[in-house]
Amino acid sequence: MKRIFFLLSLLLAGLNTAAQELYVATEPASNMPKNGLAIRMTQEGGFQNGYQSRTIPELMYGVNKNLMVHASAYLSNFFQNSYKLEGWSTYAKYRFLSIDSTNRHFRGAVYAKYSASNNPIDFQEINLEGNNSGWQTGVVFTQLLHKLALSGSINYNKALDNRGANLFPSSLAAESIGYTFSAGLLTYPKVYRDYTQTNVNVYLEFLGKKNLGRNENLMDVAPAVQFIINSNLRIDVSQRFQLWGNMTRNGKNMYLIRMEYNLYNVF
Amino acid sequence: MAVAIVMLLGITAKAQFVKAEVQVSGLTCSMCQLATEKAIKTLDFVAEVKPDLNKNVYLVSFKKDKSVQLDLIKKKVKDAGFSVSKLVAIFNFDQQKISNDFHFTYAGNKYHFMDVSEKTLDGPIRLTVLDKDFIPAGDFKKRAAKTSFECYRSGVMGKTRTYHVTL
Repeated sequence: MKRIFFLLSLLLAGLNTAAQELYVATEPASNMPKNGLAIRMTQEGGFQNGYQSRTIPELMYGVNKNLMVHASAYLSNFFQNSYKLEGWSTYAKYRFLSIDSTNRHFRGAVYAKYSASNNPIDFQEINLEGNNSGWQTGVVFTQLLHKLALSGSINYNKALDNRGANLFPSSLAAESIGYTFSAGLLTYPKVYRDYTQTNVNVYLEFLGKKNLGRNENLMDVAPAVQFIINSNLRIDVSQRFQLWGNMTRNGKNMYLIRMEYNLYNVF
Repeated sequence: MAVAIVMLLGITAKAQFVKAEVQVSGLTCSMCQLATEKAIKTLDFVAEVKPDLNKNVYLVSFKKDKSVQLDLIKKKVKDAGFSVSKLVAIFNFDQQKISNDFHFTYAGNKYHFMDVSEKTLDGPIRLTVLDKDFIPAGDFKKRAAKTSFECYRSGVMGKTRTYHVTL
């Protein structure tokens, strides 16, 4: 824990550079521009009964200034030896609050997600990124403080029966609360001149879960580094570490590598 | 009578709207800046957009033969997810006499001078727009509470969109 607070204070100490809120493990309260389309490919993996990995292709679209939607597919070998298509999800976020001033803003958004998975259900953690079918709804607030972007969110998760006759076992908690805290910082460039300058951002995110009605908790920390090239190609590299937890889970301490390409005014 | 008609119709000024400096707030990254620039560029009256990325200011120059609508620029910035925090309209005037409350019509919109002294404008002149969503929300509230001009609060004079400007 001490190390975490040290890292966080380092991040907060970097107040004289510009800030970022393109978080890697969570979404900020800000949305994509209207008519913007992003194409994402995420690869995550780690060692759990041997090496396992998951591939997540994803499309994101800005419907209007306040509403954006995502659609994702999940492919992995998490629950069997060979790679398979295991499910999909859809997500929408609505920004209801926006207080802007120069180099500073405060935003609030509500979001909801529906996820479908055909995996067997063996673990206590409700994971809507491929492991479980279910839905999620939550609220997120993001503050840009001239140099630093901070974001916090809380969500409710409800697991459903998975597809392919993988019923949700009555022995597991079907509801959980998730809570996150994220900080992001732009480290380069110090001075913007043109769109071709590569941005380098660093992030530290805390991702907690608690199963309702059970003494089952977990907390992950996810440091990340991000490169934005030509103002339209984004590359994220992150490694998650479980700080504490007593939930059984499939997908602990995973790395993440992501590429995202952004198109503007597509329609 | 003639004066009344002129007042009613507004005065068509000896002026050309050449460009605007648009300062955008809430921007946090070069992707957001590029998205905002590309959105402004889709407007048919925009000839060119030059960004100052460090200051979050776009210098937008206009086509000569098209009608410039500042509300459309504001809408594009909002659709990109941000707000206009300052807009300086640069008009080329030709010996135009102005005073407080003077207004002229340009491209179907009225431009209404506030907080100015009597003066003759000549050449390129920078006019700061004072209306809602062109300045920070708090500043607009303060001005709206102080002014006696109802058209400042509503943004319209009769049915005509009216922008309020100062030197």
